Amino acid sequence: MIAVEGLTKLYGDFVAMSELSFTVQPGQVLGLVGPNGAGKTTTLRCLAGIIPPTRGTIQICGHDLARAPVAAKQELAFFTDEPRLFEYLTVAQHLAFTARIYQVRDYERLARPLLEELEIADKADKLPGELSRGMKQKLVIACGLLHSPKAIFFDEPLTGLDPLGIRRMKDSILRRAREGAAIIISSHLLHLLEEVCSHVLIVKKGRKVIDGTLAEIRRIYAEQHGATNLEEVFFHATGEGGVPPQNP
Amino acid sequence: MIDALVFLQFNSWKNRTLQRFRRLKQPKYLIGAIFGAAYFYFYFFRFLLRPAHGGQPNAPGWTGQWAADLPWLLETLGALALFTFVTLGWVLPQDRAALVFTEAEVAFLFPAPVSRRKLIHYKLLKSQIAVFFGTLILTVMTGRILQGGVAPFRVASWWLVLSLLDLHFHGASFARTMLLDRGISTWTRRLVVLGLVGGLVIWVGTWAWQTMPAPPEFNGNGDADRANLKYYVRQLTQFGPVPYVLYPFRLVVKPYFATNGWDFFRAIWPVGILMVLHYAWVVRANVAFEEASVEASRKLAERITAIRSGRRQPLEGTRKKSRPPFQLGPSGRPPVALLWKNLIAAGQGFTLRFWIMMLLIVVSVGFGVAPQMHRANNFSMVLGPLAVGLLAFSFVMGPQIMRQDFRQDLPMMDVLRTYPLPGWQLALGELLAPAAILTAVQWCLILFAILAFPSLGKGKLSFDLRLALGFSIALLAPVLNLVSLIIPNASVLLFPGWFHSGPQAMNAGIEATGQRIVFMLGQLLVLVASLLPAAILVAVAVLAGKALALPLSLTIPLAAVGATLIMAVEAALGLWLLGRLFAKFDLAAEGSGN
Repeated sequence: MIAVEGLTKLYGDFVAMSELSFTVQPGQVLGLVGPNGAGKTTTLRCLAGIIPPTRGTIQICGHDLARAPVAAKQELAFFTDEPRLFEYLTVAQHLAFTARIYQVRDYERLARPLLEELEIADKADKLPGELSRGMKQKLVIACGLLHSPKAIFFDEPLTGLDPLGIRRMKDSILRRAREGAAIIISSHLLHLLEEVCSHVLIVKKGRKVIDGTLAEIRRIYAEQHGATNLEEVFFHATGEGGVPPQNP
Repeated sequence: MIDALVFLQFNSWKNRTLQRFRRLKQPKYLIGAIFGAAYFYFYFFRFLLRPAHGGQPNAPGWTGQWAADLPWLLETLGALALFTFVTLGWVLPQDRAALVFTEAEVAFLFPAPVSRRKLIHYKLLKSQIAVFFGTLILTVMTGRILQGGVAPFRVASWWLVLSLLDLHFHGASFARTMLLDRGISTWTRRLVVLGLVGGLVIWVGTWAWQTMPAPPEFNGNGDADRANLKYYVRQLTQFGPVPYVLYPFRLVVKPYFATNGWDFFRAIWPVGILMVLHYAWVVRANVAFEEASVEASRKLAERITAIRSGRRQPLEGTRKKSRPPFQLGPSGRPPVALLWKNLIAAGQGFTLRFWIMMLLIVVSVGFGVAPQMHRANNFSMVLGPLAVGLLAFSFVMGPQIMRQDFRQDLPMMDVLRTYPLPGWQLALGELLAPAAILTAVQWCLILFAILAFPSLGKGKLSFDLRLALGFSIALLAPVLNLVSLIIPNASVLLFPGWFHSGPQAMNAGIEATGQRIVFMLGQLLVLVASLLPAAILVAVAVLAGKALALPLSLTIPLAAVGATLIMAVEAALGLWLLGRLFAKFDLAAEGSGN
């Protein structure tokens, strides 16, 4: 479970995120959406323990990220939009390294089906420089899922994937959720989010605009503003696309 | 159309310069700029601005007849260097002609209605920025070494030389492409050029063999040896085929040595003609360079990205797999995984090129020390001190050279931050690889020094004492390396904006040099402070041992054990602090590689 309470991140005088609170239960997939500069990536980076929040608390599977960072990080995985890999390690070496860091004792048994699922099993001896962007993305996912995280954060996970890759990624996300992971996805591809998310959190200029289940939010905006899909909800909620901001 | 290109170039330069001035409002840039400016002034410009000494070049150690002969010697050497550069320009490159543009220039200019000739003009204009910068650097550098002369002539001469080389290399690249289009392969071209150069060398050699006296032998008399050598070189370069071969190159370097306006004017017009001929050659070449330019601009963009993200390594695509140092199991201490990873990274540095370089260095050093060995009649007289010198070098410079730690992983800091490890474990894991490599190298050098160091007279460095010293240094080496590595790594985490690998790396000015100087001084200060307690202990122990009439071969190892314990405590404390710094490190900070 992911529980966020009063998350605030300041960069000097600039408020990147202010007093954000929400929870994601096991099995739920939360879509974190907002215009550019809304604070989505900052939020995810705070949740992953990459940058410290200025105020607020973050609980990952019951572990306070500030007080027990090691236990909390053992339960999470964060996937950035740009695959971040060590250029001098091969695919197989990345997995061995990740397994040691996360102490995944039977990693070889877990890695094989993961690599096959992601269709990079035949690339074990390749360096990242020899892989396409999509392949790199898949390797990052394989490394991230190796320790069976309970809290997973995706920042634009579909960037660079081909249609089949996108389909597989969606299936993979849904399967992880069914297996009990709490998932947060940040993306601008609203129609794709509609297919995988159970919940939505819309942010703008570092503040929460609305959150709730996808069905609930769609119903509210449909009743009040005639919005029929997440894209229209987004425009109404954020005031983007020439539509004035309208909160329910 | 060319107006637009000039506009683009001028405004790019102007905005870049303004940006540099604006950031001087930040203290770190201002302090860096002050230190950088002071360094450049005291090291270079002071010499350039110093009044000329009678208009003659005046290198240190050159007096009398030597000073009079210096222009001639430098002119010959300059012509020879230019000849070598030009030859290499025809031999080394293997790519097709590619004018390197930025990706933005490719995106804007290539689809635009701009003729190929205008693109060449734009490129030539743009390369003038690099030429001006090169002119400045070479003027101050040569001004530092060769005082005197006429500064404006030197500036103009360097500009002429660099501009002509720039034009020549452009022309050569077009010519290479034309040869490739006509089915003449790169290797055929290389063989022909090398064949021509080889023919010239044989011609000169044959002439020298037949008409010149034998090369002078060195008798150990410095002045006489130099005079003989000078006479021989003068004969070789003033008569026979050499003056003809070097003639065009000598014309190009001649203006540099002009001592008055008339001399300069007489020297400059042949260069002007050469320049006009080169310009016509380049702009009239009708070679399709666009495709190769797109590829070259992509590589340039990758290189810029790599530097901006703090990588010094070659591009991704050029990396080679290196064997893991050991099998990494999934269970065990996690910091070992970081050691393993960084050893693999370090292994990539040991390429064929590295070993060739090492071989060249060893051969060069061998040639250098051979006469001393011959004179000393004892290998150990030279090799032992050489090993000790290398050992000292490895302690001082090793931590700066071996950077397979946070400095290498700065662009991956966000990934490291997600690992479920306490800060101190991450810090330890990151520092283990460079510490282990340095220690291994140092232990080899220590062993070598123990065996090879001469037993100097009166038993001052007996085998016992060498063994005691070697053991002591070997014991200290791991912790000393760790402490030495903690300092630059802590600097990176404390002042990520100062560590020059951030987004400003590609737009660095003199403030970057200044920042490096401040960093070096700071690191040296901290290192000295951290060594002080251990040094005091060793001194006290040696004095006590002397008072108790204990042999040095016993006192020194005992003192070293104590010093190692002190340094180990410092290293542990440093690692704990480094871990805390890492835990608090804010990736949003400027220059963190994000």
